[in-house]
Amino acid sequence: MNTTDLQQIGNGFSNLTLGSQAVFRTALAVLSQPGRIEALASDAHTPAQCDPAATALLLALLDADSRVWLSPAFTGTAAASTLRFHTGCTLVDGPAEADFAWVASPAELPPLHRFAQGTENDPDRSTTCVVQVGDLANAAGWTLTGPGIQSRVTLQVTGMDVGFVRQWADNHAGFPCGVDVFFCAQDRIAGLPRTTRVEV
Amino acid sequence: MLQDFDTPEATASRQGWLALLGRAPLDLLEGALAGQTGTAPQWLRAPETGLVMAQARAGGTGERFNFGEVTVTRCALRLAPGGAVGVGYVMGRSHRHAQLVAVADALLQDPLKHPQLAQRLLAPIRQHLTECRAAQQARAQATRVEFFTVARETGQAGEPGDSNEDSE
Repeated sequence: MNTTDLQQIGNGFSNLTLGSQAVFRTALAVLSQPGRIEALASDAHTPAQCDPAATALLLALLDADSRVWLSPAFTGTAAASTLRFHTGCTLVDGPAEADFAWVASPAELPPLHRFAQGTENDPDRSTTCVVQVGDLANAAGWTLTGPGIQSRVTLQVTGMDVGFVRQWADNHAGFPCGVDVFFCAQDRIAGLPRTTRVEV
Repeated sequence: MLQDFDTPEATASRQGWLALLGRAPLDLLEGALAGQTGTAPQWLRAPETGLVMAQARAGGTGERFNFGEVTVTRCALRLAPGGAVGVGYVMGRSHRHAQLVAVADALLQDPLKHPQLAQRLLAPIRQHLTECRAAQQARAQATRVEFFTVARETGQAGEPGDSNEDSE
């Protein structure tokens, strides 16, 4: 095991229990109501090139049993050492082995089928992707329907192209397998579970 | 491999002084670090207590085996923004003890403060550990029993079956 360079690491949640519980509650809200955009408040230090919301989300969700894949843009940043120090998670080389994936930008998101999909017996073993995007808005863009949505809701995710929507249709069709995605823009977060249909 | 961390040369390295600090009694640390712990540090990891599996080798050289779990308290902190990170690992459940070790580690990484603190803190700890070891050895020495054994006469011909025993 490599030693982590402590010098680059900042503080985690000042109150570990309440801080991570608050983040978990917000993550639950945005995943159960797809399209809902929420601010994610956290007092944890954010490393360079990382969004505060994505950092807080991963600090809250990861533990020593989690395997995490980081997209190439995080190489050489304090992102990996921060997660290792505060959560004790394991870093893996390929998206297929990961329980969680942290993607620095929409351009770095691999095709969704390359992530762990889970199995019919254990659909929870799929990868949860945390993708940092330019901006999030409830404006014309995608139309979301499905469980947790009254009729339909609009979501605009800056940087995600139509290719992602096609991949998402395949991901949705594979239910109960498939990945879930969190979109993070600075301190705001939105969720896209595998049950949601996306139309352009 | 066994390493001796208790010589002055070895404690010049960070690994060495952390090995000393981890075994230092609390009152020695309190005395030497008085005035350094007034301001609240920036916690990277607040003191937390857990179990660590200690491993040992039989006789110091045998196969490694799990010896047992020990209670360990650890923490990591910064004394000033952007300053050196100090880490503290101590056996037991004292959060204060772990904090003082981390404070000492952070201060010892500062080249300006290192010589003074090494003299005021590390030297007394080294002396204390030496005294502890000497006292323990003296206690063990007091129970020593001298066995007087009679060397067996060897080479007696005509006794069947004892040639193997004599070969020791």
